[in-house]
Amino acid sequence: MNIALLTSEIAVLVLGLLIIIFDVLIPRQETHRSLGYIAACGVLAILVHSMTQYGAAATVYQGLFVVDNLALFFKQLFLAATFLTLLFSVEYVEKWIQNSGEFYALLLFALLGMMVMASANDLITMFIGMELMAIVFYALVGFELRSKKSSEAGMKYLMLGAASSAIMLYGMSWVYGFTGSLVLSQIAVKATASPAMLLGMGLMLAGLCFKLSIVPFHMWAPDVYEGAPTPITAMLAMGSKAAAFAVLIRVFLIAFSDLQEYWATIVSLLAAASMIVGIVVAIWQTNIKRMLAYSSIAQAGYILSGLLAGNVAGVKGMLFYAVLYMFATAGAFAVSTAVKNHNGSDEIEGFSGLAQKSPLLAVVMTISLLSMAGLPPMAGFVGKLYLFTAIADKGYLWLVILGFVMSMISVYYYMLVVKTMYSKARDQQEFVVRGSLQVVAVISLLASLFIGIYPGPLAKLANFAAQALW
Amino acid sequence: MLQEFGNVGLLLIVALVFPLLALGTAFLLRPRDPGVEKSLPYECGVDTVGTTWVQFRASYFLYALVFVAFDVETVFLYLWAIKFQELGTFAFVEMFIFLSILLVGLGYAWKKGALEWK
Amino acid sequence: MNEWAYTAAFFIFAAVTVASAVGVVTKNDLVHSSLLLALCFVGVSGLYVLLQADFLAAVQLLVYNGAIAIVFVLGTMLTRRSIRHGTNHSEADAPSRLIGLISGLFVAVTLGVIATTPWNYSSAGAVQDTPAVLGRLILTDYMIAMEVAAVLLLAAMIGAIVLAKGVDEE
Repeated sequence: MNIALLTSEIAVLVLGLLIIIFDVLIPRQETHRSLGYIAACGVLAILVHSMTQYGAAATVYQGLFVVDNLALFFKQLFLAATFLTLLFSVEYVEKWIQNSGEFYALLLFALLGMMVMASANDLITMFIGMELMAIVFYALVGFELRSKKSSEAGMKYLMLGAASSAIMLYGMSWVYGFTGSLVLSQIAVKATASPAMLLGMGLMLAGLCFKLSIVPFHMWAPDVYEGAPTPITAMLAMGSKAAAFAVLIRVFLIAFSDLQEYWATIVSLLAAASMIVGIVVAIWQTNIKRMLAYSSIAQAGYILSGLLAGNVAGVKGMLFYAVLYMFATAGAFAVSTAVKNHNGSDEIEGFSGLAQKSPLLAVVMTISLLSMAGLPPMAGFVGKLYLFTAIADKGYLWLVILGFVMSMISVYYYMLVVKTMYSKARDQQEFVVRGSLQVVAVISLLASLFIGIYPGPLAKLANFAAQALW
Repeated sequence: MLQEFGNVGLLLIVALVFPLLALGTAFLLRPRDPGVEKSLPYECGVDTVGTTWVQFRASYFLYALVFVAFDVETVFLYLWAIKFQELGTFAFVEMFIFLSILLVGLGYAWKKGALEWK
Repeated sequence: MNEWAYTAAFFIFAAVTVASAVGVVTKNDLVHSSLLLALCFVGVSGLYVLLQADFLAAVQLLVYNGAIAIVFVLGTMLTRRSIRHGTNHSEADAPSRLIGLISGLFVAVTLGVIATTPWNYSSAGAVQDTPAVLGRLILTDYMIAMEVAAVLLLAAMIGAIVLAKGVDEE
C-alpha cells in the first residue's frame, strides 16, 4: 500500500479536524474570521502539492481506489473551487451565519467526499464518498438558521437527496446482483444487456442525474439554490456537479461502456431536455440565484452531452467545460455574494447601478455570464466548441444545433442582468468589498479570459487526463 | 447455522404464546364490570393532569442524534474486534484513526453542550 | 421438513414486512406509522437471517430498531401538536393516487425484470462466519471507505447538532 497516494485526502481531513478543534478551543467570534483564511491557505497548499502527483497512475488496495490523471484533474478542480468559495465566503459567513467554524470544517469534509468520489473505482467507496458530500450539503444548505427559506431549502434537499441516494443504491444492488461484482472494471467484463442490468443502470443514471440537476430530475435545484447560503449555492453548482460528473464518467465509460447503445439515446434526450428547460425557464427569473440555478441546469446539459462521444475528445470537452464553468460560477457567485452583503437581497433588481459603485465587480459578472453563454472570446466559447465537435463527429448533429440555438437564446437573459448592472444606481450607499472577494473576482476574470484566448494549456491537460480512461 | 436460528425462532414462538395464553385465560375468566375510573390511564396512582401528548425539549433529540452516530460506530468496532488479532498493528492503527475522528465529534458535542441537561 | 419450515418462515417474514410497510403509508397517526416501521425493520432482519446474513440481521436490529426507530418516535415527541390524529395524512386525493400508480408500475416492472433476466447463479454456498469475512474486508480492501464512513458520521453529527440547536438566543 502506498500512503503517499493519499496525501491530499489525508491533508484535507486533518485540516477539517483542526478547524473543528480550533473552533471548539478558541473563544467565540473575534478570531473566527481567521479560520476561513486558514482553511483557504491549507486548501491552496494542497492544490499546489497535488500538482506533483500527475503522471503516476496507481491504485490503492486491489484497484478499489485509483489515483490517475483523471482523478487528479477532478481533485484539483474541487480544490480550486473550494479555495475560491472559502475566500469569497468569509464576509458572508460573518454576516449571516452563526456557526462559522463548523461551516468551514463541513465545507472541507464535503471536499473530501468529492475527492473520494473522483478516485473511487468501486461502487461502495463511490457511494460513501457521495453520501459524505451529500450529507454535508444537506446540513450546509440549511445553515442560515435565521432564514426560513434556508431551512426550507435544507429540508427539501434532504428529502429529495435521500430519495435519490436510495434510488441510486437500489440501482447498484441490481448491478451487483447481476454481475456479482462491485469493482467497475469487473462489472464491465460481466455486463450484458439483460433486463436486470439495464434496470440497474437506469436507476443509477437517475440517481446521478439528480445530483447533476438534469431535467427531469431538476425540480429541487431552483428552490435549493435560492434558499441556500450563497457560497453553498456556488459549491453545489461547481463542486457537487463536477463530482457527480467524475462518477458518471467512470461508471458509464468503464463499467457500462459496452452498453453504450442502450444509454446513448436516453442520455442525449436528457441533455437536450436540460438545455431547453434550463435556458427557456431562466428567462423569467427575477432572483439571481434562481436564474443561475436554471442556467446551471442548462450547463449540466451541455457537459452531459460530451458523454455521448464516448471517447477521449468527448471526455476532454467535459473536463475542459467543467473547469471553465467552475471559474465562471465562482465569479458570478462572488459578485452575488458582494451584492447580498451590500443590500441583503438576491433579486436581480439589486444589481442596478453596480457598474457605478464597483466597476470591477460589474465587469467580472459580465464576463462570467458571457462565458456561460459561450460568446467569444470568453472561455465558454472554446468549451462549447470542444464539446460540439466531439459529439458532431459521432453523428449528434441535431444536439449540436439545439445547443447552439439555446446558447444564443441564453445571451438574452444574461444580457438582462448586464443591462441592470449598467443602469442608474437606486441609492448612493457606498459599496465596500472585502479584499479576499476581490481576489476571487480577479482570478475568475483572468481565468475566463485566459482560457478563452489561449485554451492550449488547459486543453492539453484535459486531454492528458481523459486518456487515463483508455 | 439456520438450524440454530430455528431454535431462536422456537424460543420466539414460546415467548409469544406464553403471555397470550396467560392474558387469554384471564380474559375468559375475569368478571366484566367496566367503569370510568377503571379505564383511566394508570400512572403511580395519581390522576393525570392535562393531555399526555406534550412537546418535549429539543435536548432529548440531541442525545438521540449523538447516540445514532455512536451506535453505527459500534458496528465497525465489533467487526474490528473479531479480526484485530489476525491483522495486527495495521488494523489497530486503522481503528485508532477511525476512533480519533469520532472522538473529535464527541469532543465537539461535549463542548457545544449537546450532552448537557439544561 | 426443513425446506418446508424455511419456506414458511420466508412467507411469514415477507408478509410482516410488506404489511407493516403498507401500514406505515396508510396509518393516520405518525406514532403508529413509526412503530410499524420498526416492525418492518424486524421483518427485514428476519429475511436477512434466511439469507444466512446473520451479522447484517443483527446490525439491522441494532441500528434500525435500536436507533433509527427511536429517533423517529423522539422526533414526533418534539412536535407541538396536541392531537395525534391526522399527523400522517393519507387521503386518496389525486397526487397520492398518482404516486400509488407509479409505485405499482414500478413493482410490476421490477417483477417483470426479475422474471425475464437470465441470472448467473453462483455455485458457492453461503458464507459461514460472515462477521469475520466482513471484518477482513473493511479493514483491508475497503479501508478507505471505512475511514470515510467515520468522517461521514462526524460530519452528520456536527451538522445535526448545529441544526438541532438552532439559533443561540444571546
